[in-house]
Amino acid sequence: MRRLHPFTLLTIAVVLPALAWILPAPRGGAAALSVAALLLLTPGVTPGFGVARTAFLTAAPFWFFLYLLHGVSGMVATGLRLSTMIASFVWLVAILPPARLVEAMVAAGWPVSAAFLFSATLQAVPALRERAQRLVEAQRCRGLATRGGPLVRLHALRALALPLVLSALHDVDERALALETRGLVAGARRTPLAPPPDHWSQRATRWLLLLSCAALLVWRVV
Amino acid sequence: MSVRLLALIPVAVAINLALSAAVDAVGLPLFLDTTGTILTTALAGPVVGILTGVLTSAVNSLRNPTFWPFVAIQIIVALYAWLAASRGWFRSLRTAVPAGLLLGVIASVTSTPISYFVFGCSTTGGIALTTKLGQLLGLSTLGACFFGSFLSDFGDKAVTFALVTTILHALPRRTAARFPLALRAVGRA
Repeated sequence: MRRLHPFTLLTIAVVLPALAWILPAPRGGAAALSVAALLLLTPGVTPGFGVARTAFLTAAPFWFFLYLLHGVSGMVATGLRLSTMIASFVWLVAILPPARLVEAMVAAGWPVSAAFLFSATLQAVPALRERAQRLVEAQRCRGLATRGGPLVRLHALRALALPLVLSALHDVDERALALETRGLVAGARRTPLAPPPDHWSQRATRWLLLLSCAALLVWRVV
Repeated sequence: MSVRLLALIPVAVAINLALSAAVDAVGLPLFLDTTGTILTTALAGPVVGILTGVLTSAVNSLRNPTFWPFVAIQIIVALYAWLAASRGWFRSLRTAVPAGLLLGVIASVTSTPISYFVFGCSTTGGIALTTKLGQLLGLSTLGACFFGSFLSDFGDKAVTFALVTTILHALPRRTAARFPLALRAVGRA
């Protein structure tokens, strides 16, 4: 499964939740969720049951709140659909490393700037989160009161957010300079180092899945 | 798109997602997950803002896929921020806070159908519980869903607009001048 082309994996992860919503509830949702659950347990998904547990823990609160708001029948109908969406995406994240998706995008002729945006964002988020945590600790050490009335908290929020955002904006210049020196300009093309193989059968499968979805949607609407 | 704007987008997405650490530290019921989207729109226009919003939803979906259906809200926020920037609503807190409150109404009106049809109003614990409160107050499920979304979005967007205004005014003039629309957004151009 891991050897499938990233676009094929992406198509499966998109089509399954779409089918869960298109097909009549609750049987359509149950069928789609069964397939998604099987995928979660497929060899190649690491760390195996850990991924299934992540999907379960993400979906569980929705079932509780759906029961609270809609009772048993509403919970089952919507819960199956939501769980399919969660299971499909958790599976996708577990089986598809972002770097492989970026390679596939570049190989498919996407502009290198699109590939850069995706990969740079994935790197920037944990780095800025870590900096935010350090800022919180530093401001607390300086005696910033983060508890109290709403105005005190809003004042503290300003003291935490402002340096974080300003320092992040300051980084933009350095990043831009680094990108320019690496020749990242509009319309630039890159040759991927290890493009994932894309057999015609996989391309055909992707189209078949998407067209089936569209056909089922038309059948349901008409 | 210039290289500087290309470098700005990942940073803005990170701002959207990293501010949760500050929110957690002060314990306020806020998201601030559109701060980067609004800021980039004010600095560089709607295309950069929309790209920031879409990427934020995509990256957030890798952690929790239930964020993806709300990508439409990020796009609407970017378009509204563009309107606010071109009208100079980031000039001061007196104009920014009411503009943020109006965005809160627009965002809750837009997110209600997504929350209702996709999630059965069970999006997050807080919203689900306020929706239940709305049901107990005699509202229909859709009305209660709007009630829950409204309570969460109204204050959040006002604080976000106030924060973006503060950031824009705190930007050194030299830094602001590097972005095409920053000075106009704060009424200095």
